[in-house]
Amino acid sequence: MIKKQLNCANYKNQTYKMKKLLVAVLLTVFSTSFFAQEAEQKTTTTKKAHYNESKFKQLHEELPTPNNEHRASGAPGHEYTQQQVDYKMNIVLDEENNKIFGEETITYHNNSKDHLEYLWVQLDQNMRAPDSNTPEISGGGPDVMYSPSKFTKTFMGKPFQGGFNIEFIKDVNGKDVNYLINKTMMRINLPKPLASGEKYVFKIKWWYNINDYFVDRGRSGYEPFPDGNNLYVIAQFFPRMAVYNNVEGWQNLQFTGRSEFALEFGNYEVTITTPKDHILNATGVLQNPKDVFTSAQNKRYEDSKTAFENPVFIVTPEEALAAEKGRSKETKTWKFYAENVRDFAFASSRKLIWDAMAVNLNGKTVMAYSLYPNEGNPLWEEHSTRAVANTLKVYSDFTFDYPYPQATSVNADRQGMEYPMICWNFGRPDKDGKYSERTKKGMIGVITHEVGHNFFPMIVNSDERMWTWMDEGINSFVEIYAEYIYDPVLFPLTDYPKNIVGYMSGDQSGLEPIMSQGEDLTNFGSNAYGKPAAGLFILRETVMGHKLFDHAFKTYAQRWKFKHPTPADFFRTMEDASAVDLDWFWRGWFYTTGANDIGIKEVKKYYVTDKPTKRAENMAKSYGIALDKLPPSLYLVSEDSPEFKNDLKSKKPEDYNLLSDYINENFSSEEKTALKSPKYFYELVFEKPGDLVMPIIVEFEYEDGTKERKQYPAEIWRLNDAEVTKVFPSSKSIKKITVDPDEQTADIDLGNNSWPKQTENKFEKFKKDQIKS
Amino acid sequence: MQLKKIIVILLVLPLFAFTMHKYYVSLCEIEYLKEKQSVQIILGVFIDDLEFTLNKNIGKQLNLASKTEVENVDDYYKKYLSEHLLVSVNSKNQSFKYIGKEYDGDIVRFYVEISGIKEFKSIEITNNILINEFPDQKNIVKIKVKDFNKTFYLNKSNNKSLLKF
Repeated sequence: MIKKQLNCANYKNQTYKMKKLLVAVLLTVFSTSFFAQEAEQKTTTTKKAHYNESKFKQLHEELPTPNNEHRASGAPGHEYTQQQVDYKMNIVLDEENNKIFGEETITYHNNSKDHLEYLWVQLDQNMRAPDSNTPEISGGGPDVMYSPSKFTKTFMGKPFQGGFNIEFIKDVNGKDVNYLINKTMMRINLPKPLASGEKYVFKIKWWYNINDYFVDRGRSGYEPFPDGNNLYVIAQFFPRMAVYNNVEGWQNLQFTGRSEFALEFGNYEVTITTPKDHILNATGVLQNPKDVFTSAQNKRYEDSKTAFENPVFIVTPEEALAAEKGRSKETKTWKFYAENVRDFAFASSRKLIWDAMAVNLNGKTVMAYSLYPNEGNPLWEEHSTRAVANTLKVYSDFTFDYPYPQATSVNADRQGMEYPMICWNFGRPDKDGKYSERTKKGMIGVITHEVGHNFFPMIVNSDERMWTWMDEGINSFVEIYAEYIYDPVLFPLTDYPKNIVGYMSGDQSGLEPIMSQGEDLTNFGSNAYGKPAAGLFILRETVMGHKLFDHAFKTYAQRWKFKHPTPADFFRTMEDASAVDLDWFWRGWFYTTGANDIGIKEVKKYYVTDKPTKRAENMAKSYGIALDKLPPSLYLVSEDSPEFKNDLKSKKPEDYNLLSDYINENFSSEEKTALKSPKYFYELVFEKPGDLVMPIIVEFEYEDGTKERKQYPAEIWRLNDAEVTKVFPSSKSIKKITVDPDEQTADIDLGNNSWPKQTENKFEKFKKDQIKS
Repeated sequence: MQLKKIIVILLVLPLFAFTMHKYYVSLCEIEYLKEKQSVQIILGVFIDDLEFTLNKNIGKQLNLASKTEVENVDDYYKKYLSEHLLVSVNSKNQSFKYIGKEYDGDIVRFYVEISGIKEFKSIEITNNILINEFPDQKNIVKIKVKDFNKTFYLNKSNNKSLLKF
């Protein structure tokens, strides 16, 4: 009804205007058609329907329907199952030819309720095979320069002969197993379907050429040194079972080199044969230290288990220096056992020093180890093992006590890559042993990050191939605190979340939502690492607070340790355990490319009067009440309204009898003293040009220089997504208002964040300061 | 020998990006203010990547943003910027005035200004910051004129952005 009246009024208005325009006939014709069109458009606009576009709409349509494996609470359900895969492997590292040979026996336990007609095995090394799709699908113009080897590889049909050479696949009876290889995935064609609860045992013999990762990239390979030695960091090096679960079926998305891994848990018995003068560590626990160490080293290995104060050497720098000068033709065999891990990796070289420190985690001893060449010193002996120990402690506080017996950091130049209990990390001083704070920061940062990956995804085992952010983003979030605790000066918390503003304020055409598969991201680092970490930082520090956030986050980690969580399990658990509705946050920050921009648009100052204002008069009129029949009331008058009289400025609300009488009659003297006495009333209009909804954090600076903060929850935007108004009472006059003064909400435009409006931009300010100094 | 070393380093760097702890990006914010007849440019770059590049070009350790930083560091910055950030306004190459720099954590921000621009008809940026050393380098260029905003994502094979009004 109201709409109709409005249209009528418009029409009248238009006819009136038209009359005015009746000077030229042509013009009138034109105007009429113009107005007609406008009126028509208006009608259609009012009729157009839309779906629920609220930023606070629950995520029912986005999240998968809960079931008995993944519950609506975000917990694993009573029908949750998970496969188990055990490996027995004998590995030979052939240093002379840079080849690696393996014979592995895989025991696949089908714990699912399904019959499996075939099994999928991951052949990650085939990413380096001559027929790999990886170079085919990566675009880009010519390189700046080409080495002869790169030139022949790229243009002359002489690629690196990488990839697995499968010698045989046999079952327990020695019978050949039928298989098919599709690039980086291999299907084992079972003679008969594997029933629920059954296991299948088979054996694969393989070898491949190890890549020089300085030339052919990659997270695994060897680093050549000028002294002729190599440092091998060997990973995703054996055929590994793909994950079978009820979310993806077989997770057999191809490996292109970028999106990482989805793997099952199991137990590993591994022997590795290396040159006799090599030092090696791997996932798991060394079973035969006496066979591979000198007796002095073995004694130090045992003694280190009680070295809680400082790192101690197991293999000394002098021993490593002596070893790297030789080149033994003899071999020795290292034996490892690892329980309940999702993968296995090792590092080996005769250049390696090994130091160790014992870490006490609630009464349980875990070993922190570092292996590094002399080139890494003095930086590495000062910081690596201590950074490992710190990471284990801080992450354990955030999640659960680190369940594995050890964690190792290996110094491999230009690497930063994680595997269970072992990781490769960059960071070396200059040749003269000096290093900058930045080198140190980078090195401690990467060690914290990669050791932190033990928790996400090595234990809280999300699917990295599908959701990069679930391990990289969540890990980068905890990393912020672990680094801060290690060195608060080098890693200040104040860097977050503003570190992500540069990315989020970019053109929409260059952004993707976090909820994208890793392969599809143009800005991988910002999207999968920086943005989710900054988002969780905002949740913990600004939206939920430490108590609610930490309990929910811990609940997620504990519910899903040694299991395969999905994004929905994380989103749901964080709400289920905290009673904080976060659907708006997940929707905006994770499912869209929106950014936050909240500003203060207008500020009006009001004073109190007992004389009815124009608004009150109008209200009385509309209800048909005489003005003197209005109940006794106080009214607020804006400073800039014609009704405002200067003498109101000196009046306090208590100066009006109607209020003071009410207070005297109704409140005890104690209650009276607790009452606030506001004098000024500010009407604050906040605008939101940004797409995201966020809490509004406001700082009021008073004339006397004191400050006060107020935080309005994000839900303030429920009914109006563009603009909200609040009344703020104050006993003191306000000099300055700042929205989000500490930059806690990743606001992409601070130009509208203060009142009185700041006209000076960042550049002008800098220039002025520059001239001053 | 020296050349060989440099080549080795150049070939090695691309691998780094694959390991992914960090990423390669710079942010160049350009704003034209008509009342000041001024094109204001703020360029933010990761210090470690810039230090690697300058040390290599100059052949000595500059120790950027540290207590032992070389005294005439601004001369090196000015030179590098003038060679790698080329700005043409109204189809004319412009030299800019180096106002100064600020260090903010891992980032250094340069403030440079082109003055005496009465009309702003077009701007062309050729941004070669760090692209020779880091093939995965992405250089973001944001241009702001009053309420108009435009962002360009530049890289080694596409290092120019042209905007006409």
